[in-house]
Amino acid sequence: MRFYFQQAVRAFILILFTIYIVKLHYTGDILKLINPKYGTISMIGVVILLILFVTQLHRVFSKHDEHKHNHDHEDHHHDHGYSPLNGRKLVSYFIIVLPLITGFLLPPSTLDASIAAKKGAMLSITNNAMQEQNSGQPQEKEESADENMENEQPIHQNAPDPNLDSNTISMEKYDQIVNQLGEQDSILMSEQVYSTYYEMINKEMDSFVGKEISLKGFVYKEDDFKSNQLVLGRFLITHCVADSSIIGFLSSVEDATELTEDTWVEATGTIYIEEYNGTRMPAINISDYQVIDEPEQPYLYPITIKYK
Amino acid sequence: MLGKIRSTVIDVTGVLIIGLAIYLISISGTIQGGITLPSSIYNMNTIFLSILIEALPFVLVGVLIAGGIQIFITEDHIKRWIPKNRFAAILMSCVVGACFPACECGIVPIVRRLIAKGVPIYAGIGFLLTGPLINPIVILSTYMAFGNDLKVALSRMIIGFIVAVIVAFLISLLFRTNQLKQELKNANHCEHGTAAVGQPVTMKIFHVLTHAVDEFFDMGKYLIIGALLAAFVQTYVSSESLVAIGNGQIASSTIVMMGLAFLLSLCSEADAFIAASFSNLFAPTAILAFLVYGPMIDLKNMMMMLSVFRAKFVFTFVSIVTIVVFVVFILLNQFY
Repeated sequence: MRFYFQQAVRAFILILFTIYIVKLHYTGDILKLINPKYGTISMIGVVILLILFVTQLHRVFSKHDEHKHNHDHEDHHHDHGYSPLNGRKLVSYFIIVLPLITGFLLPPSTLDASIAAKKGAMLSITNNAMQEQNSGQPQEKEESADENMENEQPIHQNAPDPNLDSNTISMEKYDQIVNQLGEQDSILMSEQVYSTYYEMINKEMDSFVGKEISLKGFVYKEDDFKSNQLVLGRFLITHCVADSSIIGFLSSVEDATELTEDTWVEATGTIYIEEYNGTRMPAINISDYQVIDEPEQPYLYPITIKYK
Repeated sequence: MLGKIRSTVIDVTGVLIIGLAIYLISISGTIQGGITLPSSIYNMNTIFLSILIEALPFVLVGVLIAGGIQIFITEDHIKRWIPKNRFAAILMSCVVGACFPACECGIVPIVRRLIAKGVPIYAGIGFLLTGPLINPIVILSTYMAFGNDLKVALSRMIIGFIVAVIVAFLISLLFRTNQLKQELKNANHCEHGTAAVGQPVTMKIFHVLTHAVDEFFDMGKYLIIGALLAAFVQTYVSSESLVAIGNGQIASSTIVMMGLAFLLSLCSEADAFIAASFSNLFAPTAILAFLVYGPMIDLKNMMMMLSVFRAKFVFTFVSIVTIVVFVVFILLNQFY
C-alpha cells in the first residue's frame, strides 16, 4: 500500500468543486450565475462529483493492482495520475483550480451597463420593437397552440419570477397575466410579468400609448442618446448569465444627466412612441422616479408554463 | 486485516481532505475583502464561472457515459454495429447523433471514447455534429424563441443534418486514420479497457468511475480555457461593432453571425434566444447560419476538441465546417 500524492490532489480538487457548488446554492449566489430552473441539474452534478470523490479516495492508497500490467505509462491514452508530476501537469492542475481560486476569492458580480453595452443593448431593444413592423399580426395567442408539447416548456417571452422557487406557473395563471394587461390602466411591471408584458407592449405599441406604467431597472446610456434620454434595462437570463439578453424601455426624464449608469431606479411614467434611429419603439415619459438599491434579484427569468 | 486498515486510512484521508477544503474556504472569505480589481474583471469572472457551472453537470454526465463506453463496449461490438459501407456509416452516425440528446460539451468525451474504441473518424464526426444540434430540447427552445414558429426550428434541424452529412463525408475523404492525439492512440491497450469481461460488476463500476475521474481532469482544463476565452470575448468585445460589419450584405452578415456563434460559445439549448434577439436585424439565412454553426463549432468546444484530436485535424475540421455552413447558406439564400 502506497500513498499517491497526485491522487490525493485530485480528490481534493473534486471535493472543492463539490463544496463550491453547494456553497453557491447555500448562499444563493448561484442565482447570479444561472437560471434557478437549472438548479436541479446542477445538484445532480454535485451528486456525480461526490461519487467521483469517493471513488477517487480509493485510489489515494491504491495497491496499484489495477495498473500491474506492465505497459508503458508514457504512451497511455490518458493520465491516470500515477506518473510523476512534471511542469506540464502542474500547468494542467493550475488551470483546473483556476475557477476555484477565482470562485472563492472574487465575489460574483451582477452584470452591469458595461456588459449591456458590449451585448448591444439598443440593438436588442430595437430588434424587439421591430417585431411589430415585421410581423404585423400580433401573436399573443400563440400559447394556445402548445397543448401538444411537453409538460414543461420555457416561454422566453414570458414573465420571469421574482419568487425564485416557483418560476413555473400554470397555464391558467399565465392566461390570467396575459389578459390582465389589456384591462389595466396602470401597468405594474413586476418581475414575474415583465418580459411577457414587454413583449406584448412591443407588439402592439400603439394601443398602449398614454397608459401609465411603473417599473424597475438599471440606467443604461448610449452615446447617441439625447441629454434627457436613458434606458431602464433588465437582463433576461435563459440558462446562464453568459446567454443573458437586455430588455428595457427607452425613457425620457428631465434630469437624465444626473442619473449615472448602473443606478437602479424605480420609475412611473406614461408610454409614448419614440423614433430611435428610424425605428418606432415604445418609450416611457418618466414623471416620477426614485433611486433604489439593486433589487435582491436583479435578473429576470423566463417563465415555465406547466400544463396539467 | 490489511483491507480493514486500508479502508480506515481511506476514511481518515477523506475526512482530512474535506476538512482542509472547508478550512481553505473559510479563510477565503477574509481574503475576499482585501482584493479590489476593476469591475470588468469581476464581470468576466462571473460570466466565466456561469459558463462553467452551467456546463459542468453536462460534462460530468458525458464523462460518466464515456467511462461506461470504455468498460462495457468492446471493439467487437463497434465492428459489428458500424456498417462497412462508408456512406451507410456516416448516415447512421448522424441519425444516432440526432437521437442522442447531448450538448456540445458533454459529447466530446463520448466521441473521444468511441473513436478510441475503433469507430471510424467520419462516423465519430457525424455523431459529434448532430448530437448537440438535433435533439428535443433544442427543437423546443428554438420553436419558442422564434415566436412559436416551427419554420425556423425545422430548417435548423434539416439544414444542420445536411451539413453534418456533407462534413462527415468530406472528412472521410481526407482522413483515413483516427486522428486522435498521440497519447490517445494506445487507448485500446489500456488493460481495463478490454479486460473488463469476467470482472465482478462492482469492479466494473469502479473502473467506470475512475475512468470518469481521469476524463474529467483531462477534459476539464480545456473546458475551462474555452469558458475563459468566451467570457473574455463577452466582456471586452462589443457585438454591436461586429454587427455593424455585417449589415446589409448577405455574405458579410452570414459571416458575422457565424463569428458571433463561434465567439459567444453558447449552449445549443440557449442560443436560439440570442439568435432571436438579432432576428429583425439580419436576414433569416444569417440567423439560421448562427443556429446551425454554433452547436457544431465554438470557442469552448474547439478547445475541448483540441484535447482529443491532433491540432492539425481540429483546424482542418473547423475550416471544413465553416466553409460548408457558409456555402450552404449562401446557396439557400436564393430560396428565402
